[in-house]
Formats: sequence, C-alpha cells, structure tokens
Amino acid sequence: MPDLHVLLRDEPGKRVLLLGNEAIARGILEAGISLVTTYPGTPASEIGDSVSAIASEAGLYMEYSTNELVAVEVAAGAANCNVRALTAMKHVGLNVAADAVMTLAYVGVKGGYVIVTADDPECYSSQNEQDNRYYALLSNLPCLEPSDPQEAKDMTVAAVEVSEKLELPVLLRTTTRVNHTRGPVVLGKLGKPSLKGDLVRDMVRMVMVPAHARIMHEKLLEKVDKARQLSEGSPFNLIVRRGKSGVGVISSGAAYNYVLEAVDLLGLDVGTLKLGMTHPLPEKMITEFLCMHEKVVVVEELEPYLELQVKAMAKDHAPNVEIYGKMGKHYFPRNGELSTRLVASGLAEVTGRKMPIDFARVDRVFSEVAKGLPSRPPILCAGCPHRASFFVMKRVGGESAAYPTDIGCYALGTAPPLGIGDLLICMGSSISTAQGISKVTGRNTIATLGDSTFFHAALPGLVNAVYNNAKVTLVVLDNTTTAMTGHQPHPGTGTTGMGSPAEKVSIEKVAKGIGVIYVKAVDPFKIKEASAVLKEALEQPGPSVVVFRAPCVLLSVREKRRQGIKVMPFKVTDKCTNCMACTKLLGCPALVVADGKVSIEEALCTACGLCVSVCPYGGIEGRCPK
Amino acid sequence: MKEFNVVLAGVGGQGTILAAEVLGTAAVIDGLDVRVSEIHGMAQRGGAVVSMVRIGKNVRVPTVLEGRADVLLGFEPLETLRNLRYASEKTLVIMSSEQIPPTELSAKNLKYPSMDELKAKIQRFTRRIVVVDAARLAEEAGSSLAQNSVMVGALAAVKVFPVKVGSLVEALKQLVPSKHVETNVKAFDLGYEAVRKEKTD
Repeated sequence: MPDLHVLLRDEPGKRVLLLGNEAIARGILEAGISLVTTYPGTPASEIGDSVSAIASEAGLYMEYSTNELVAVEVAAGAANCNVRALTAMKHVGLNVAADAVMTLAYVGVKGGYVIVTADDPECYSSQNEQDNRYYALLSNLPCLEPSDPQEAKDMTVAAVEVSEKLELPVLLRTTTRVNHTRGPVVLGKLGKPSLKGDLVRDMVRMVMVPAHARIMHEKLLEKVDKARQLSEGSPFNLIVRRGKSGVGVISSGAAYNYVLEAVDLLGLDVGTLKLGMTHPLPEKMITEFLCMHEKVVVVEELEPYLELQVKAMAKDHAPNVEIYGKMGKHYFPRNGELSTRLVASGLAEVTGRKMPIDFARVDRVFSEVAKGLPSRPPILCAGCPHRASFFVMKRVGGESAAYPTDIGCYALGTAPPLGIGDLLICMGSSISTAQGISKVTGRNTIATLGDSTFFHAALPGLVNAVYNNAKVTLVVLDNTTTAMTGHQPHPGTGTTGMGSPAEKVSIEKVAKGIGVIYVKAVDPFKIKEASAVLKEALEQPGPSVVVFRAPCVLLSVREKRRQGIKVMPFKVTDKCTNCMACTKLLGCPALVVADGKVSIEEALCTACGLCVSVCPYGGIEGRCPK
Repeated sequence: MKEFNVVLAGVGGQGTILAAEVLGTAAVIDGLDVRVSEIHGMAQRGGAVVSMVRIGKNVRVPTVLEGRADVLLGFEPLETLRNLRYASEKTLVIMSSEQIPPTELSAKNLKYPSMDELKAKIQRFTRRIVVVDAARLAEEAGSSLAQNSVMVGALAAVKVFPVKVGSLVEALKQLVPSKHVETNVKAFDLGYEAVRKEKTD
C-alpha cells in the first residue's frame, strides 16, 4: 500500500495525485469528519482503508463495521449527537443499509453525515449495476455526484455543509471511474475532528413511532424544498458552455467527462449543463437550459434518472424541446458503463454528424486479431485455500450435491475445472437459498461463504436453518481476512480498523450458540481429514457447519517473506506420467502444460502441496513450509 | 501538447497499477494534468489487467479511446494483443517478452504463440514494435519483481513521452518501498537503455 501520509499534509494549495477514494479520505479530513464507518466493497474499499491507515494520527475514529446497516446505524447514532460522520460502501451495500437510511431521512442528523455509495457500472467487481441515484429519489435525501478525484474531495466537504444546513444525511454517489481514477487534487485546509458528542432528547424528531413519523415525513418534504433551493445555487450545478447550434447536453458524474471529449471529437458547438447535485434537481436552472435549446440530449450512465425528471419538467415548462436519451429510442445504452465512443456515437446520431473514427474497421480488425486469443479471467490464486476446499467439496458432494455460493473470492470457484456454484445473489444468500433448494430437491446442499460474509449476513439465515431444522451444510471458507477487497479486518481477525487488538469472535462458538449441533473446523489442505468432516456433516439430520480454515495465501506468503522463511516451489519428478490429473482437477495457475508435459511455474508456486495430494503417481515433490 | 495516451496491459500481480501510478505521479511533479484509470478487486486476481494513463491539458476521461494510444506498454505478449484495439498505425508498442501462459492454454493443451506470430498480429495495427526482455533485465537489476520498473524505464526512453526522466525516477523512489528502491531504479535504467537506441519518435 502506498504511503498515505500525504493525506495528512497541512499544505493548502498543494497539488498531489490521488485516487478518487483517497481524495474522499482527504475530504473527510478537510471536513472535520470525526467518525467513519464502512464495510469494504469494490469500488469503495480504499476510502475506509485510507482512513484506517491514518485515523489515529488524524484523531478520528474509524471502524470496519460488520455490515453496511450496522455501519449506518453506528454513524447515525454519532451524527445525532452532533458529531460529523461518514459511511462508505459499495452500491449494493446501500440495499443492506436501506432500512436504516429510509427512516434516518425522517429523523435527520445534527452533525453533518455523508453516505458514500460507490456504484459499479459494467459490474467490474459486483453482482449487479444498480443506479443508486434512485435511492436519493426514494429516500428524499440530497445527492452529490462527483466526476473526478478533485470533485470527490470537494463534494465530500460540501456534502457535510449541505447535511448540516438541512439536518439531513447526504448521499455522495460515485462510480468506479471516479473511485478508481487517479488525478491531481489541490488540497484544502484541514478541519479539526472532534469526537465529543452530546445526546439531547427530542422524542418527536428522533423516535420514529407512527405518530412521530407522520410529523417527520412532512418535515422531510419541507427539507426537500429547502434542498432544491440549495441545488439551484449549488456551485456544482452550472452551465459550463453555451452553444450556438440549438443543441444542449445535460450530464452528470463520469458521463460529463465523456460528453466534453465526445463534443470535441465531433467538433460540436453545444450548450453543456453539468449537474453535480443530482437530488433534488435544480428545476429552475434546468427549465431555463431547456428553453435555450431546441434539442436537449441527456447523457448519463445506467438508468434514465435525470432524463425522467427532465422530461417531467419539460412537459410543464418547455413542451416543445425535443429530448434525447435512453427512454423510447436508445441513443445511449441503459446498461454497462459509458465511454467517449458510446457518447460520441449517440451525439453524432442526434446531431447528424459523422463519426471521425471508423470504429467499425477497428472492431473488425481487432476481432480478427483476437480470434482464438486464450481468455484470462480472474482466478483463484496459486496456493489459495479455497481451491483445496472446493476440491474437497466436489470429492465428497460430487455432481449430485447443490452448491449455493456467495459474495467473495470463492465466487471464482465457479471457473473450470472446479466449477462449483449453483446460485449466487447477494451477501449471505448462500445459507438461506440453500434451505429452499434443500427443501424442494432433497439434494445434499452445501452452502459456501467466507468468514467476513459470515459475520456480515449469515447469522439470521443460520438461525432460520436451526429453528426450521433445514438439512443444509454451511461451509465457512475462513481465510482469516476479507480477501477480495484488500485484506480488511473483520470480527474474526482480532484487529480493528484503528489497528488495535480485539478479542476475536469465534465462528464455531457463534454457530454453536445459535444452536447448530454439528460444528467442526478443519484445514482444507488436509484433504482426507477435511473430506471425512464434510461427509459427516452431510449425514446430519439437521443443519451443520464446517469451517475450512487456512489463511489467504497472499497473507501467508507475505508473512513468510517477513519472517525470512524461503518458500521452495514444488517440482514435477520423472514419476510424472503427464496424466494431467493435477491440472484437470485443480486448475492451479502454477501448473503449466507445454508440449503435453506438465511443469510447475516456480514464480507462482507457493508450496501449498495440494497438487501432491491429487497426483496418483507421486510425481510431484516438495515440502510445505510450516 | 495535445494529449499523450499510454495503455498498460498485463496480468494481475505484474505491477501494472504501480507503474501507472508512477507515470501519473511524475506527470504531477512536472505540473501536467493527468488521469490514471485502474481496476481493482475481482478483476485483478491473476486476470487480465489494464491501466490507462492520459496526459494533457484537456484530459478528463481516464480511459483511452480506441485507436488513440500513443504507446501500448505490454507487460505480457498475449495481454498486449488483447489491447490492440487501442492502437493505430501511429502507436508505438513496447512489449515485454515475458510470457505468462493463461490456464486456458494448459487446460486445452494449446501452445503459446511464437514471437513471429505475435508480431504479425501486432503489425495488423502498427509496425512500430519494440520488444524488451524485461525478465532478464529485472533479474540483472536484482529482482524478477522489478519488471514493471524496467517497463517504465523503457517508456521513459520514448523521445516524445512528455514527462521528464528525472521526474519518473523521483516518482519511482516515492512509490516503491524504500528497501527496493535501488533495485527498481536500476531496473528503470536498464529498461531505459534498452529502448534508448530504438527509433521511438
């Protein structure tokens, strides 16, 4: 991880290169936010990680909460005691937190409170590509949408101001191309965090029983009107260019960048309205912009969120303006991320321009060149304990078992040759979907999820399995970290987000405490032992829990390197018959086949020894370091 | 200067993200405007990885338009091919010869293409190809892990690349862990020397 002390620099005006997520962390410091909660998830993870790296030095509190709902609730408690707070999560995290967010909008806050939702158009690392701007509309919360790292920082600071003016949480909606873009950021003044809060009783505002909720709903709607005024005067909503062609473009977030470059590419002379505060929308400003043009193109990523509202405004105030976007005729796609090319092609169609680049030719030549190019999808690392776990599961459960899976590295177990995974929806879904599958198919049902996911979302599902005596086996793939998102701590790791030690929460004890009778932990690399345990678990009349525990190989290799333990790669010996059992069963990237012969790639082998266990001829040798 | 676009293509774990960050940091040291795009999370686990660096006054989009790469910096031959859509006849391809066979090749018992086959495919887009033996040069510098610094050094030798060589070295020193600085700077120098004599403008 790079040195993040640059974030602590008290040098206003200094220009540094920051990742969008690091820029938000800097914004947290400039805004005087004092409490930060998060649950890691791509593309939001580095917000929490950056804050975690500097929290104690900066004098603020941060935690990796067990899930996004808990994260919002912890922060809501603090923000209602007049302390500035922020919660960061990936887009689907907001689904988990939504129960709290929807009613927190009624309650409001005293200290500024920002909820960062990082959307992932194109599903680079997500199970869906939902557009969370609709949460702003649904909850009535204000929403800011940065387009680059500089704005990500500035809007974090501005969001706190808006939040305190309105006494409402504010959504900061980013997308992958903002979170994971590096750009120059000019630093502002550092704020002063203060963790001293004060709880002032105010039951009507803060205790949402029906009688109070009715009152506070009305107050919330008044706040939305006030927020609309702020939006009209927001420095983030502005006409950046006036054109003479009668065509205007409205856009927000990452889409705005594509618009500017696409307009240049096509040589268009169009008016451009950039929206940075996208809820509530500045109705007056948009209406005026509509009236200035004959045609208005709305360019936005994912859903026609702006377009829908712009069309509603046009109906009342500018009925003759033609509006182009993705409703009705699709000038732009409603799925996937945009690009300069896609935006240029939509704008070219609306304006009748010709594209200056023959993309069709590029596509044609490229597809000829790329024909037969072997794919390189993300895979489980060489030495990953999940590979051993899946091998054991397949050995014991075979083709007849059902394997509902979950969110994390283990979703990569779906790739051949392991090919494990029958149903994947969301965090914690494996244990609950397993119960439905088992009930109606009668098949052996083995649900898998990771250690962090266990604490995040498995507990209600597991209680349900116990109470309804569901015949399912939950395999917890415990690699002692939150691996996929960058090795963040969780309640089972013994470290907090502040870097201090903590009492570990035991997965086995939790499972037993819930009432699971069969609970066993075993090292998945011990194939025989692990297989015996899993077989026994499947024979139980009710739910069972098996913990396959072995640390993430990235962590264990790093630890060995630190201790000066040399990892000696395994070797293929002359006993090898090139039967390919190892490559066909495991698909380990360190097992390489060339000219029909298998060998071990030294640079990749971590000496986990799994291939030795599956070789029928004793054709691989080496020693696993302790 | 209008804009200068670099596409860095490799395999997760090869250090392409760090290399891109070095380029971006150096551009900021030189007072230039820059955007660096990277993809984290699931996409980086041994999978194909692409980072893009765009330098120039009006640059806002972090990704490169098809056909608009000035340099395609390939850390691995197949990944270089996979990103040829960003190349045109003007593009300079600097490619490491270090092969990392994808598991699909092993699974289907297929051969990794020969250098001549690889070059022929690249030539469908551009004839400007420089191949760098990054693995050997990194070993020579002291660690096979320093191949990314070799490739940054190779790019630094491109005459039209708008970032100063000194700034790149400074950025490299800032971003590499202190105990590995010496090795990486040496790797950078070796990459630089390897490309310096080639025609790159």
